[in-house]
Amino acid sequence: MVKFSRRSLLQASGLAAVGLASPLSAPAFLRGAQAQSGPVKLGCLFSSSGTMANLEGRLNYVVKMAAEEINAKGGVNGRTIDVLVSDPASDWPLYAQSAKQMLQQEKVSALFGCWTSVSRKTVLPVVEQENALLYYPLHFEGDENSKNVVYVNSPPASSVLPAVDYLMGEEGVSAKRFFMLGSDYVWPRTINKQLKGYWKSKGIPESAWKEEYVPFGFSNFQTLVNQIRAFADEGGGQPVVILTVVGNSIPDFMREFANQGILATDIPVLGLDMVEADLEGLDTAKLVGHLNCWAYLQNAKGPANEAFLNNWAGYVKANNVPFSGTVSIDPMVSAYDSVHLWAMAAAKAGSFDVPEVSKAFAGLTFDCPSGYKISMTGENNYVARGVFIGSVNDAQGFDILWQSKDTPKPVPFSPYG
Amino acid sequence: MKLARSALLLAGLAGALLLAPPARAQAQALDRAGLVQELCGDAGAMGRAGATLAATAAAGSDEDRAWAAPLARAAIDRKLGCDETGAVLEEGGLDAVTRTPRAATGTPRAPLLSLRNRPVFELGDAAFALRGAPDPARRAAALKTLERRPALIPERLLDRAAEAETDAGLKEQIDTLAQTAALNAADPAARIRAIGRVAENPSRRALTRISALARDPAYEANPEFRAAVDAATARIERGIAIGDALATLYNGLSFASILFMAAIGLAIIFGLMGVINLAQGELIMIGAYVTWLVQQGLRAVAPGLLDWYLILAIPVAFLVTAAIGIALEASLLRHLYKRPLMSLLATWAVSLFLMNLVRVVFGTQNLQFETPFYVTGGVPVIGDFIFTWNRMFAIAFAALTLALTWALVRRTPFGLNIRAVTQNRDMAACIGIPTRRVDMMAFGLGSGLAGLAGLALSPIYSVNPQMGQNFIIDAFMVVVLGGVGTIAGTVVAALGIGQINVLIEPLWGAVAAKVIVLLMIIAFLQWRPEGLFAVKGRRK
Repeated sequence: MVKFSRRSLLQASGLAAVGLASPLSAPAFLRGAQAQSGPVKLGCLFSSSGTMANLEGRLNYVVKMAAEEINAKGGVNGRTIDVLVSDPASDWPLYAQSAKQMLQQEKVSALFGCWTSVSRKTVLPVVEQENALLYYPLHFEGDENSKNVVYVNSPPASSVLPAVDYLMGEEGVSAKRFFMLGSDYVWPRTINKQLKGYWKSKGIPESAWKEEYVPFGFSNFQTLVNQIRAFADEGGGQPVVILTVVGNSIPDFMREFANQGILATDIPVLGLDMVEADLEGLDTAKLVGHLNCWAYLQNAKGPANEAFLNNWAGYVKANNVPFSGTVSIDPMVSAYDSVHLWAMAAAKAGSFDVPEVSKAFAGLTFDCPSGYKISMTGENNYVARGVFIGSVNDAQGFDILWQSKDTPKPVPFSPYG
Repeated sequence: MKLARSALLLAGLAGALLLAPPARAQAQALDRAGLVQELCGDAGAMGRAGATLAATAAAGSDEDRAWAAPLARAAIDRKLGCDETGAVLEEGGLDAVTRTPRAATGTPRAPLLSLRNRPVFELGDAAFALRGAPDPARRAAALKTLERRPALIPERLLDRAAEAETDAGLKEQIDTLAQTAALNAADPAARIRAIGRVAENPSRRALTRISALARDPAYEANPEFRAAVDAATARIERGIAIGDALATLYNGLSFASILFMAAIGLAIIFGLMGVINLAQGELIMIGAYVTWLVQQGLRAVAPGLLDWYLILAIPVAFLVTAAIGIALEASLLRHLYKRPLMSLLATWAVSLFLMNLVRVVFGTQNLQFETPFYVTGGVPVIGDFIFTWNRMFAIAFAALTLALTWALVRRTPFGLNIRAVTQNRDMAACIGIPTRRVDMMAFGLGSGLAGLAGLALSPIYSVNPQMGQNFIIDAFMVVVLGGVGTIAGTVVAALGIGQINVLIEPLWGAVAAKVIVLLMIIAFLQWRPEGLFAVKGRRK
């Protein structure tokens, strides 16, 4: 129990009053934020604790790494970048609170953050009110177009639909029946709504799909895998599972799926949020062939990816980062792209003011580690990315099964939902 | 002109078929270079190559089969290196066509099987193994792979395999599969036998196959066939019903075992001292981490025993978490017995401390566990009921823990002391029971049981610093519902919650199941605030 004596309270409030009354007399490190010559601040909103920590945590370090890269080349507009990290603890309202704190107290120039859509939705009113910029590095459900959010990853039309098309096509497995299993929140529900609309538009009857949701952090998938088996064995064409559970539910689901003896050649799982990091604790020999779809896979060819992987491995080693230096996932690359896209826009605008930076978005291009040249137009804050479909291999990674020829133009609002 | 040519071709083919000895019944010799080229082609070409491989396994000459068998395996394992001049088998560095040693030119490309092609190659690989593998176990495994897709098995493969099979048991299995595969044969007797064979292993997939036969012309025409289909349908439906009931029971039991393991330690601590130990979940997590450390230790010291780390870790996990529990009790909680709210906050702080300590030391990623054979996969029993070994491990472990805990509490002097202190602390102290020591030991026992829970759960759940948080709420639910401090209550409450959860889940979904179970517990506690089994006698 901390006790305030009258004396210490007086001292503290006196100090605070002095600080408030005369900002010029404040010590140098406090003035830095306002000064034109000090470093420019960027804020991270990624959880280092709670159910998302294993995934989101590593993005903090990627943003720092990208900032270091830019600083090594002299920074932006003559100023170096300083990255601030917060821990919203996988607690959705806390994201909004951290965002507000970073914007109002730390005066960050841009925010990089959020994994789940529910956290983005809580931050959205904050960044709109403060007229700030949030770079969001995850592929998501679309149906949103705020001038204060840069959607660095793909909406469903350029990630989920190509993958589902692939599964339904000749080259895939001619999928006819779909079991949708998701965590119970906005991203899975919207994705599934759009998918149902898409299938309806193709004349697929409603009896061909089934939809189930589980709570966040759910891990006892025994009954659900039984249901999937029953659904698949009803006949009527090749079944697939469209998996939109998130966090630790993914490895727990895959483990139960394999243990009940189902192989990818029986019922393939398209894990929309499944990344290399989710396979870290699993024996993947029984999971070979399951799919995911992202705008980047670690096995992408090209010098940009080699450079990125080398940098990351070096950064992990040099800074003792508590994540694997040999695993690189799409949101990491998207976070890395985000920092560079922001730096390019700020350099082009010659300013760190949000309206000026936003105006500079049109025509930006960047050589993404995925091997594609990603680009932005003035039409909206979406980024055109390539599409990869990955296939789980027995070394806990994804082999590239298919990739798009170019970067399809992103469609923010889906016509199917 | 064209007609004449094809007639000539047909005649030639028929002649060749008639004249050629049975072993060379193929219309043409295998085009080895062409096959390798297709293996390095696009998805369509690879599909054709896969079909050729499967056909070769069934009908190819001995030399062709011996030559082609490694190709199917290499394609599955991505051990085929395609370069400009063809392909290299990476194992051994042999040219894929000539089988002479050569190095790959440039950077070879390993083609990736698409989902459509993968089963074709797996089937081909199994077909080669069934006919050529020297090890009977490998042949039996190959047969299992073939059983998964009876419709794709190339014609006559099974007959030839059965002819050559030396192992009597395996030969019988092959014959059974051959009979099953005859579901769409021409001979009605073979079909009826196949229907009977399919019905022997009832499952929804079998039902789909059999009920499709009701639309077959033979169903109307042939009364015997019709009777066979109807009997098989009834038999399969019965099998499915039994299987579903067993599966529900098993799922409920498995969930109950998890709940019980998580709750039993808490039941002892809460029951004895009235301390709400919020760090119980973290002790479970530490038990799992200790198990992992034992695995890593064995890997370094005695790799031969690695498969048994789950067993060898039992005493270690128990002792380490028990020691942490005793230390916790001695240093922190004993000062707070008179202030239950403070002890709740203190254990919460300990829980955060332990979680973050583990996060700093090990990182947040999921730990990688070896999966020994006794917790991998499962056996189909009847209908769609699969008996999964990792769940069985948890159930057996929970049963064993229950038996030992019960014996300890009911049959030993230490247990007698625990019960005495639980029922009336002051009176127990009066008759000379060292209540302080009993408290400490009981806290250690409860913590050690949490550690065992972590061990039992590691083959089922992902192990990371946050895993404990998943269990604490459920554990409290079980303890409160069961009645504070009774082992029997904990068992019954765990079984009840587990079973109800599993029954509700398929009807209204997992989200609703959680809510409904919680509402039911609240309603029940309104009626019986003491829980299922209240300890009789005066409390404090």
